[in-house]
Amino acid sequence: MSVSVIPDLNIFLFSVGGVNFGCDTDQAETMTDYHGEESNDLFWFHNELGFGKEQISYLSPVIVKIRTGDARSYRIIIDAVEEISVFSLNDIYAFPTLCEPFTLKKGMWGILKHKERMFFMVDFHLLLKNTPIKIEQKKKAKRRSK
Amino acid sequence: MNNTSENIGTCSLNKWGETVMEINDGQLKSELILDELKGRQRTREIVDVEQERVKMVIFRSGANRYAFYGKDIREIIPSCEISWVPGLPEYLPGLINVRGDIESVVNIRHFLGEGKIEQFSGLIAMAVKDDFRTGILIDSIDNVVDIPLESISPPLATLDGASRELVVGNFEYDNSTISLLDIGKLSSKVSL
Repeated sequence: MSVSVIPDLNIFLFSVGGVNFGCDTDQAETMTDYHGEESNDLFWFHNELGFGKEQISYLSPVIVKIRTGDARSYRIIIDAVEEISVFSLNDIYAFPTLCEPFTLKKGMWGILKHKERMFFMVDFHLLLKNTPIKIEQKKKAKRRSK
Repeated sequence: MNNTSENIGTCSLNKWGETVMEINDGQLKSELILDELKGRQRTREIVDVEQERVKMVIFRSGANRYAFYGKDIREIIPSCEISWVPGLPEYLPGLINVRGDIESVVNIRHFLGEGKIEQFSGLIAMAVKDDFRTGILIDSIDNVVDIPLESISPPLATLDGASRELVVGNFEYDNSTISLLDIGKLSSKVSL
């Protein structure tokens, strides 16, 4: 019998635009309320995930400062956290083969089934891989607008 | 009375003076021929019965009817909630939960050149072929039929570009030509 060496995950659950997401709490350094500030290191979750052109409204936006492990600052605005719970790996499933190449590009690596709902597990470190470029683009856009 | 052949029988005159042939056991030549014809017909029927038949799932998508090989369709699921996933291409509208298993869904209209739909209210055909498995959005099921394998003809040369990459043949059903779509070809189009 094989025994998993990966412990249970402490996951925070939230929804954006009616879609449910989950993230390992280990990735979040701090969570603070969003009050309309703008910054090169601050990104809206729906823009990061590629929600398309549809207007997304946030009821109680919260800034999650992602633990990057280095000097980079990376902050994401999500909607209010609904629940923080410990989940077993048995509750998490891989994306179907057809979808996985696309979801991994958007930082989504698995699906948590909880209370008859699907929560897409987001790894912000996967998203962070593209972030230096995006921060630079944001800086350039800001300079052009001045 | 003349013996014309030992094998067939004898010829004689009937009451109108016509020559008729009688077989050794009293069977007429016409009866012998008829037996022969019926025998050939039976053989043909037996051959027909032994023709290889294939099961087809005939369905509607947009304005047209298409078919999948029945062996590639595991089940038909009534319309259920499709969970949209950010970042998926247009032909992958999301995921469904089939008795606890999470499956992808392919919008086959995208590959058939059929018009887009805002709100899907049709069925989902669960397709499984080798390692490939996915739900496929279809409008409705027309029928599930067994047809002779030889009644499938090669794809029409006039087939338009959108669907020709998925069509492996055509067959006649209910006074119309049905395009047979191959799950394997769909698999190679949607798999990265």
